Amino acid sequence: MATEIAIEGQGLSKRFGSIEALRDVALTVPVGQTYGLLGPNGSGKTTFIRLVAGLVRPTAGRLTVLGQPMPSRRILGDIGYMPQTPALYLELTVRENLLFFARIYGAADRDRVEEVLSVVGLSERADSPVYALSGGMRQRTSLACALVHSPRLLLLDEPTVGVDPPLRVAFWQYFRRLNQEGVTILVSSHVMDEAERCDRLVLLRDGRILAEGSAGELRQQAGAPTLEEAFLRYAEDAGELG
Amino acid sequence: MSWARIAAIFLRIVQQFRRDRRTLALMFTVPVLVTLLVGYVVRSSEASLSVAVVEETVDPTSSFSPGGELLTALDQAGSVRAEGLPRAEAEERLDNGDVQGIVYLNYAAQAGTAVPKLDVELVLEGTNPQDSGAIVRAVQRGLLQVAVTGLGISLGLPELSPQELVAVQVSYVYGGPEFDFVDYEAPALIGFFAFFFVFLLTAVSFLRERSSGTLERLMAAPINRSEVVLGYMLGFGFFALIQSLAILMAAVLILRIHYEGHLLLVFLIAGLITVGSVNLGIFLSTFARNELQVIQFVPLVIVPQGLLSGVIWSVDSLPGWLQVISHCLPLTYAIDALRNTMIKGQGLADSGVYANVLVMLAFAAFFVVLASRTVRQQVD
Repeated sequence: MATEIAIEGQGLSKRFGSIEALRDVALTVPVGQTYGLLGPNGSGKTTFIRLVAGLVRPTAGRLTVLGQPMPSRRILGDIGYMPQTPALYLELTVRENLLFFARIYGAADRDRVEEVLSVVGLSERADSPVYALSGGMRQRTSLACALVHSPRLLLLDEPTVGVDPPLRVAFWQYFRRLNQEGVTILVSSHVMDEAERCDRLVLLRDGRILAEGSAGELRQQAGAPTLEEAFLRYAEDAGELG
Repeated sequence: MSWARIAAIFLRIVQQFRRDRRTLALMFTVPVLVTLLVGYVVRSSEASLSVAVVEETVDPTSSFSPGGELLTALDQAGSVRAEGLPRAEAEERLDNGDVQGIVYLNYAAQAGTAVPKLDVELVLEGTNPQDSGAIVRAVQRGLLQVAVTGLGISLGLPELSPQELVAVQVSYVYGGPEFDFVDYEAPALIGFFAFFFVFLLTAVSFLRERSSGTLERLMAAPINRSEVVLGYMLGFGFFALIQSLAILMAAVLILRIHYEGHLLLVFLIAGLITVGSVNLGIFLSTFARNELQVIQFVPLVIVPQGLLSGVIWSVDSLPGWLQVISHCLPLTYAIDALRNTMIKGQGLADSGVYANVLVMLAFAAFFVVLASRTVRQQVD
């Protein structure tokens, strides 16, 4: 089922009661790229990621993930999902958390667990219970849990919140390596300099796509020196149109 | 359905428990301590009653002493202690609480008949109706023996003992003369604690699963709801069975209750209780936002079952409309089944067990449906 497109969404809308979290979103993410979702809080980034993770069903629109029309349970094993808050079992050690999620994905391989531990730099803290870890370490454990079953598509909701700059750089280098291995990454962020590292970006506001393209393209089109200013221009334009 | 995934959840619950020493202690030591406490409290309160016997007049013409006979009779029965005392001392003891009742006996000749009359007056301390009832019953029984002895004497057959004049043959279908409230209570405690702790712990851990986001993480994995629910049932069922075994051992080995049951059947019933309470816990955790709100379910779910399921007061003794409620509570059936096997020694083939087990299965199925419908909630 080899496909060049990892995520393809058309006319995606999601409504929670009276709140429209996503409005008519269309997006195509090629395999092996890192795609960034950029926007303020409440812009629909998390909802979009949860949609791709199969956690919510769209109110309208079509979504295909790794060649499978969603929702599909079959494809879930190929997706790694890292939620915004480090969702971990506090009483368990780092290694036990990893092994647990590995087993849930039917991929309990101790070598892989050790490999992922060293990627996130937690080999030495592997036997510490999570409640004894700092916020940044928890965030790293959470990322490791999303990686442990070697997914083909990685969904990361604000993965570097609370992570020190040196480690943040290491994370992005690792994401690059995953891309080269054919892993597609969809990552949300509101940190602009981080967004620069993505192959392509989607600017979201109020559940709508403002613009799409590489960081350079977006800056150029908006005629703005920084991504931040470009975002504000696009938001102004959208406001005038709306 | 993947057993590997179910086993992963089971193993995780065991690991979490092992780390949480306090909860572990709560689940095993508290039920055992409470069971032992109930045993000692019940047994000591029954043996602590005493009465004074005051013999007012002695008939100089007869060798028959009703007071002495009553003391002998009470002594033999053993349910209350009895002591013969002069009136003043007896009343003083009643005043300061050393005795809970005084029996005044007045044995005097009656005009116009050769048979003397025995006047009995019983004065009770009276603050505790249960104690009063126990004394009245014991004294009545004792007086019956006195009357029979007196009858033998008045018939001129002094060589006959009361047993020879009136023979009462007592036999027990279940239990026995040494059977007490503790024997009746132990099965109920096993059922109650299995339900209580499993409900509380499941509700709290599932609440955490929801609020910490781990449930969302699970739902993003290729695991289905029934695997999550089954893993939970196995995990908590495992601890519930150990808990039942601990209570049972304390009751049998330390309190020396009369145990006729089959261990596997006790486990089966405790297991079914667990299935029900795990799922009820998962279901109700949907309606709680934090641990305190889980505790708020205790008066709603646990207390009515403690009062109405026959834990202390038997369901048959309740007023009719309350019995209707009792029969809507799963614990009623569990406790009845546990009593039937532990006291009566009934097996799965006896209706007292299988009828209850069937109702429990129905309850379990109902709660499983409720739980699996709400597992995903707050994720969507």
